[in-house]
Amino acid sequence: MLPMRSELLKGHLDTLLLAVLAAGPRHGYAVIDALRTDTAGAFDLPTGTVYPALHRLERAGLIDSDWQTVQGRRRRSYRLTPSGHAALGEQRAVWEQFSAAIAAVLGRQTWPATP
Amino acid sequence: MAGNAVTTPVGGSPVDAYLAEIARLLRGPRRKRARILTELRDDLQQAADDRIGSGVPPLRAEQQATTAFGQPRTVAAAFAGELAIAYARRAAATYIVTGPLVGIWWLLLLQPRPWWTGAAALLAAIPVLPAVGAVVATAAATLASTGTLIRWLPETQPRRALTATTVIVALTAAADVTIIATYTGSQPTWPPLAILAVSASLTRTACGIATMRHAAVLRIAAAGHRPRRHTVRDDARGM
Repeated sequence: MLPMRSELLKGHLDTLLLAVLAAGPRHGYAVIDALRTDTAGAFDLPTGTVYPALHRLERAGLIDSDWQTVQGRRRRSYRLTPSGHAALGEQRAVWEQFSAAIAAVLGRQTWPATP
Repeated sequence: MAGNAVTTPVGGSPVDAYLAEIARLLRGPRRKRARILTELRDDLQQAADDRIGSGVPPLRAEQQATTAFGQPRTVAAAFAGELAIAYARRAAATYIVTGPLVGIWWLLLLQPRPWWTGAAALLAAIPVLPAVGAVVATAAATLASTGTLIRWLPETQPRRALTATTVIVALTAAADVTIIATYTGSQPTWPPLAILAVSASLTRTACGIATMRHAAVLRIAAAGHRPRRHTVRDDARGM
């Protein structure tokens, strides 16, 4: 795989976290692990630095969390709120439009492309 | 990825040593720090368990898990912004909620008689009211621009939120000192109500000094936090 700058991924971290949580509730480590797996290892931020982004999304009301006890350990599980689902849908649409535009320019095609 | 800088004591748990180091570096509200450490502990343990499940020896699994989490200094620095925001929000909420507990005594003591004489008379009797208004406005703006409204509004950055905390505390202290000085300069004897009002204001000023000190410590901790001048939705728009 081609090298990818971590700043590039970091700039879209909020959207990526929302997208992972759209599949269902997960705890922080599982979210980050899924992100790493889904991006085939391109996502290489230190795990511990992703938690503040989750906390910020919770502060924004896009996700919420609750505490469960699993195997005697206290675990914090995150899930998307209705606002989070709406924000993800919006960001997905913007991304599709944006990536189509970039692909058109990089591929030297005319833009806007007709469907 | 660079290995973490934690030295595990012989026979000790790498996860325990790693979390102890992060705990030492975190600054901010105690409860929020405790929740962060609890969350990290479970997830580090899970990360280690996953490795143990695939045949890695337990001690090595814990070392690998802590290494993947990042250096304690990096992780603590990443949390500094959220901790600063949490502190600034708590301070703003505390000043809004406890403000009336101090203000009520001064209002009862200094209210124009009869009290319905109008806003001008009230302002003349309690000249610090504009400062009180500014404090409430700053605290409300801080809460609004660091909470759920950041989806639509430009988000207040941690250092700016701490500046707002300092402004709230300083303005309140100035109002408290001014009103005490004005009152004591004009009244030779104090009724019990005055003692209550002055005590409440002095208590708040003392608490304010502690708040200023905490905000200064958090400001240093948040100095390494990279500012993000956009709303959550801008992540998609700005791509």
